[in-house]
Amino acid sequence: MAWGAPHSFPRAILHVDGDGFFAGCEVAKNPSLKGKPVITGKERGVVSACTYEAKARGVKRGMRLHEVRALCPEAIILPSDYETYSLFSHRMYAIVRRYTPSVEEYGIDECFADISGMRRLHKIKYAQIAASIKRDLERELGMTFSLGLAATKVLAKIGSKWQKPSGLTAIPLREAHYYLARTPCENVWGIGANTAAYLASSGVRTALDLVKKDEAWVRARLSKPFLEIWRELQGEVALELDLEGKQSYQSISKTKTFTPPSRDADCVFSQLSKNIENACIKARRWHLAAPRISFFLKTQDFTYHGCDIRLPYPSALPHDILREVRAAFPRVYKKGMLYRATGITLIDLVSDAAVQLDLFGSVQKSRSLQKVFESVDHISARHGKHAVFLGSSMQAMTHAAHLGERGDTPVRARALFKGETARKHLAVPYLGEV
Amino acid sequence: MYETYKSRIISFYKKNKRMPSYAEIMRATGLRSKNAVYKLVHKLVEDGVVSKDATGRLVPKNLESGVRLLGLVEAGFPSPAEEELLDVMDFDEYLVPNKESSYILKVKGDSMIDAGIMPGDMVVVERRASYKPGQIVVAIIDGENTMKYLRVKNGKYFLEPANPKYQPIYPSESFRVEAVVTGVVRKY
Repeated sequence: MAWGAPHSFPRAILHVDGDGFFAGCEVAKNPSLKGKPVITGKERGVVSACTYEAKARGVKRGMRLHEVRALCPEAIILPSDYETYSLFSHRMYAIVRRYTPSVEEYGIDECFADISGMRRLHKIKYAQIAASIKRDLERELGMTFSLGLAATKVLAKIGSKWQKPSGLTAIPLREAHYYLARTPCENVWGIGANTAAYLASSGVRTALDLVKKDEAWVRARLSKPFLEIWRELQGEVALELDLEGKQSYQSISKTKTFTPPSRDADCVFSQLSKNIENACIKARRWHLAAPRISFFLKTQDFTYHGCDIRLPYPSALPHDILREVRAAFPRVYKKGMLYRATGITLIDLVSDAAVQLDLFGSVQKSRSLQKVFESVDHISARHGKHAVFLGSSMQAMTHAAHLGERGDTPVRARALFKGETARKHLAVPYLGEV
Repeated sequence: MYETYKSRIISFYKKNKRMPSYAEIMRATGLRSKNAVYKLVHKLVEDGVVSKDATGRLVPKNLESGVRLLGLVEAGFPSPAEEELLDVMDFDEYLVPNKESSYILKVKGDSMIDAGIMPGDMVVVERRASYKPGQIVVAIIDGENTMKYLRVKNGKYFLEPANPKYQPIYPSESFRVEAVVTGVVRKY
């Protein structure tokens, strides 16, 4: 075990996590919301994120908004403004990069940073570097962050969760046992409820119980990813920071809810068609093609009906996918049911350069169609996304996704400055009128 | 970008009378990896600007004709335009020098009209650790954004408009300054 080691921080890994990030961004945009229960996700009908004031009232992520209104009538419910959230996210990365170039952009609201060896450069201790990063983030972004500092990513994650919101927890390796003894297995990054239940059946309930098992025990009972987690809990780096960022995708999914819900087959299909077009656009941007897809229709009672389809050859062209989906659609769609969302997932994505020719020339035919979509992508680059689209998506494209109050759009989309267009805004967060 | 990199490599050659190493190209161009330098060199070789010797080191080939000339050269003096362009900034840098802490707002009222801030203008603001009297600041009073001069009298802070139509605001409770105005943008 590495705990007897003389160093508290053989490596110094920092995990930075925005507190209720989307809701935090909304408060940063409009500081008069400070101290109030703020919730985002109005257009989805469920809570995407909420402030700690809302959490204190029992509001949780994923909760339906009508439940929220019953629980906390004074809640301020806002539509998501992903453009602004991304701006704040990039600022977060940029501020952390002032202190170290080794930053992994792990998610829109969190990142890892390796500050090993930076004590000498900044002439302060690791915990002070972390405190300084936290101060910069909170001052400049106007929202709070929770930070964890430890020898590995898994331990740093335990640190950032330790005290929320606005906490800073340093876990020197020689004190790690104190934290691990108080962390149930399912709160460890990468261990899910099922694995935790399985571990509990062998008497392993806390992260400390797990760490005390030897390697042979872990190897015999768990798969490789858990061996890595076990090593990380010991203080040994098994998961290096990924500094390259996303290079590719294994799958791409596009899902959209629409209101009012619909019984009309054409309307539902058109929503699905739009999702397929969007998924294909993204796949083509990454030069990927899908050999398999799955699609679903979600009914008003939140159940999913779908199916999995293997394509004759990998493709990122909506025609190829729609052909298959159109054939399978009648088996999934039930007349009279009320549908509220559709979704498509492109699975097992491969490089589009690797597509093999087939015997009957259908790939060849698809190739010429590919030229058409190359032109479509060029037109979109110049005139904006969806400058041209398929007839089957017409209904979904020409009507707003949400009618009624869920159709509420973020303020930024309406308050334009001279020279801005609906599709192109200045890349600076907007704080409203003054 | 390519042209800038090329000119940096050329000026290295002129200064040092030899071609730079990959590490030196990284330093001269600001490229972050040798892989990026490799790609740049590959392009330069393709364009016939440089070539590689048997050991892979760079050899100058067609450096002179590769120099992009800006402006007309008269009486044999080289145009200084290229060198001068290295120390310029774009509007982004000029208006928003501290990118991470800057925000924009739209001006609604006319309370700062004598400071040259009109209704409809865009103001650029910065969040800072502390604010000084004399600055134009954005503060929140009764749940509303307000933009005024920050003043201090007998140790008490207050907000002063730049329009004789309005009275100074002496906040009864403590108030928070959210940001300081660093610029005004108006397009016609």
